[in-house]
Amino acid sequence: MQPNELDNQLSPIRDRLAGVEHKAPNRVFLPCEAEHIHEICRFLFDDLRLRFVISTGIDAQDCFEVLHHFSDDESGCVLTVKAFIRDREAPEIDSITPIIPGAEWIECEMHDLLGIEFRNHPNMRRLILSDDWPEGVYPLRKEIQT
Amino acid sequence: MDWKLWSLKKSIWVFHVNTGACNNCDIEIVNLLTPKFDVERFGIKLVGSPRHADALLVTGGGTRQAAIRLREVYRQTAKPCVVFCMGACACGMGIFEKGYHMAGPIDSIVREVDPHAIIAYVPGCPPKPEVMIAGVVKALEALQPKEDYAAERIGQPVVADSR
Repeated sequence: MQPNELDNQLSPIRDRLAGVEHKAPNRVFLPCEAEHIHEICRFLFDDLRLRFVISTGIDAQDCFEVLHHFSDDESGCVLTVKAFIRDREAPEIDSITPIIPGAEWIECEMHDLLGIEFRNHPNMRRLILSDDWPEGVYPLRKEIQT
Repeated sequence: MDWKLWSLKKSIWVFHVNTGACNNCDIEIVNLLTPKFDVERFGIKLVGSPRHADALLVTGGGTRQAAIRLREVYRQTAKPCVVFCMGACACGMGIFEKGYHMAGPIDSIVREVDPHAIIAYVPGCPPKPEVMIAGVVKALEALQPKEDYAAERIGQPVVADSR
């Protein structure tokens, strides 16, 4: 996807984004704040018809980051929506599972490992940690020492 | 020799337990059954239930979730039985040693159930099928030294054990 073409396509949600970063010809990052994630993902998925690939959760010391990766299969371009969750004590973000059912399990996994709460997730449950794992301990947070 | 050990050393039936392996060791175990190595010629056979098994082939480092299952499988295995730790992870957790999801190497998990369990180690990532066969042979030798076994048998008719 050409940079100008992409910028035109993104114009309806441009004011929700903190920027459009072209890291490579086929790799685009869209940083934003957590409260806009639902709107942006709905636009990319429903209006631009991009394919949802996977999500990533990161503990970035001062905040949590949730990255939703979308692929434009015609051009081979991967767009990553990077949402910052500033509240470290009670990290919360809107779930995208109501618009993209394929995101259900990866959101459960991020909840297990990082303790990020996904609002409106239809089926939040223990997915990959063992059954005897204590509640409220999130192994991929930076403060956990092994 | 104890008749239980004597019968254990005949054709060993094995039950395969995966406690969080990456599947590489498992593929090599399946390789043992293919015509190239064909362990069934030694009477070694994979069975579908630990109740039929003389030995457990354990792969993987022993995750918290799998440790409970491994203990249960060990309890259900007919005793005496041999536990084979196949691969680096099973022998000592390998690269997952400091992982938050690990319950400890296989030997310590099994020894929680039975402190006198017979445990054999086959290291490698993954161990070659030849090494796995060699590991089984060495474990059987350790149960009773070869010389004793041969000496006892001299002049004896080949029949089921009279002891």
